[in-house]
Amino acid sequence: MPRIRFNGITKTYGDHEVIKTFSADVPDNEFLVLLGPSGCGKSTMLRMIAGLTDITAGELEFDGTVVNGTEPKERDIAFVFQSYALYPHLTVRANIAFPLLMSRFKPYHHLPVVNTLMRRRVLRDPDVDAQVRRVAAMMELTDYLDRRPRTLSGGQRQRVAVGRALIREPSMYLLDEPLSNLDAILRSQMRAEISDLHHRVGKSFVYVTHDQVEAMTMGTRIIVLNEGVIQQYGTPKEIYDSPANTFVARFIGSPPMNLIRCRLDGRSLRFPDGVTLKLPEGCASPSAPDRDVLLGVRAEKISVAPSDAVASDTMPAHIIVSEYLGAETVVAFKLGRRADQTEQDTVAKHDLQQARIPGELHLTPGADFTVRLDLTNVSFFDVDSGERLPVAVPEATR
Amino acid sequence: MTLRKTLSSAVRGFGISLLVVVAGFPVYWLFTTATHTTAELFGGQVQWLPDLRRFLTSFTSATSGVPMLRWLSNSAVVAFGTTFLSLIIAILAAYALSRYRFRGKGVFGFALFATQMLPEALLVVPLYSIFLTFGLLDNLTGLVLSDTAFAMPVAVWILKSAMDGVSLEIEESARVDGCPRYAMLTQIMLPLIAPSIAAAAVITFFEGWNEYLFANTFITDEQKWPASKGLASFIGEFVTPLNHVMAAALMFTLPAIVFFLFVQRRIVSGLTAGSVKG
Repeated sequence: MPRIRFNGITKTYGDHEVIKTFSADVPDNEFLVLLGPSGCGKSTMLRMIAGLTDITAGELEFDGTVVNGTEPKERDIAFVFQSYALYPHLTVRANIAFPLLMSRFKPYHHLPVVNTLMRRRVLRDPDVDAQVRRVAAMMELTDYLDRRPRTLSGGQRQRVAVGRALIREPSMYLLDEPLSNLDAILRSQMRAEISDLHHRVGKSFVYVTHDQVEAMTMGTRIIVLNEGVIQQYGTPKEIYDSPANTFVARFIGSPPMNLIRCRLDGRSLRFPDGVTLKLPEGCASPSAPDRDVLLGVRAEKISVAPSDAVASDTMPAHIIVSEYLGAETVVAFKLGRRADQTEQDTVAKHDLQQARIPGELHLTPGADFTVRLDLTNVSFFDVDSGERLPVAVPEATR
Repeated sequence: MTLRKTLSSAVRGFGISLLVVVAGFPVYWLFTTATHTTAELFGGQVQWLPDLRRFLTSFTSATSGVPMLRWLSNSAVVAFGTTFLSLIIAILAAYALSRYRFRGKGVFGFALFATQMLPEALLVVPLYSIFLTFGLLDNLTGLVLSDTAFAMPVAVWILKSAMDGVSLEIEESARVDGCPRYAMLTQIMLPLIAPSIAAAAVITFFEGWNEYLFANTFITDEQKWPASKGLASFIGEFVTPLNHVMAAALMFTLPAIVFFLFVQRRIVSGLTAGSVKG
């Protein structure tokens, strides 16, 4: 259950820098999620933690001890691969018991033929058998112990892979997108099982995924990566509520955070179509007023009203798409009245906003309506760099 | 629809029968010739159905006066020796080619191919002088070495491509699970490529069993002849007792067929491993 410290870690392949100076400090027993789009370097990061990939520069510490260059088996870790990497020639029983076999094998036990005989002998050992049965019961694999991996379904294979990781009781579990090959129902079920496992075994987990739902539901801490650069490190709530930049804002959340360009003028926001909204009392705002900003508003902070219900805190908009999801409806809209748009206006992605509204509200695409933004907890980003602007609650309202 | 089905299965049956006849004809010819006397063969009194009662006499007269069993056991020593040595070298070389990056890897791979481009006859003379220096003439070990030199590169390429097909993650997983680097071959790789090893074994075995040119050149002592050379000795300057040649050829073929059937089962069981319960 070590504390993991990334100390300026970089990884290059030839001239290509995959991980750019990565530093973070992860406390004990956390469920750390490495989250990012494909090719962002998150799997490389995990493999460096496991010792399967060399670290180019920087230091990786487990509990203050530098582990660069130590073999995976010396790091006391278990790794669950995306492909599960089960041993196809061994039964489920031998697959789960494999780490125990290896710890009991003497060098000459690895010789051909001798290894088969020794494997059978160790598997018959009551102590090993008891451990395998305990893990198999936990993973609901008892009925499949004598089968080979090829005869199992994806979910069962995944459980064998986790079972194999569990049997040794390592101090850290590393999981590389273990759910990506499963169907939606099984995925949500396994999500809950892995979270539950983390609570039960009380060890550190490092979990790699590109799925923000997995990251938000399972992680106690998330590192968001993009193009080898750490974007943000924090708890799921911090990352959802206060994204560090527009990348995180758009990557986390479904639908992603709405980014609306406007001009901050003191404590009021002026939008391109002329509407001006006042920031409510007690709402934090960037300390440098009178500038162009990107206003970040979560979809659930936007409510809709009929187009005739004009009030001082509403903005006109028209619907582009309405997606009915049962309990809720996700409405994609564009600010401004439909009549004000010319036919040639194409709907660019960046000026399409989304609102999450109750499912029973029915809106027809093309219709005009008004939106009300809840401005009590919004984010402000720099227009050019996309970085989050530091905010302060004004003196008078503190 | 059913008519079409019957017709297509009939055509398929006919095609397969034709292939079986073509492939089986030499064996049938062996049997038939072996059960006739030379006089009958050359006198045109050929029975199309082999007379099974005449096998034994044919065999005994064919092997009388020649150390046939000795030759066969020499062949077995050469064939198994070649298989064993080739596989050991080929497995290690294939693993290195498949998994490691090292200087000269491409050249090494090409050099292996290049050995297959040279005709064996070209190397007989240089090999002879090398074997003379090292005292390997008239020695079955020498024959094993020269056959291995030609059989092993093929085995390397068969095994390398099989190893390339084994996911790297399985080995990485074994590393994390505490499998030492040196045991990766025996614990993970060999069981997974068993069918290819069996295929390579068949090829190297037949290279050793059938080899004639080196045996003819390097082995002069009749007691050390492998069966391929012994079989050729039936062909005399003036008389060739065809029925004896065929009877001896049958004896020469049978062990090889037995070996193939034995290994073939392994190939099939390797391919279906894990697909059945148990």
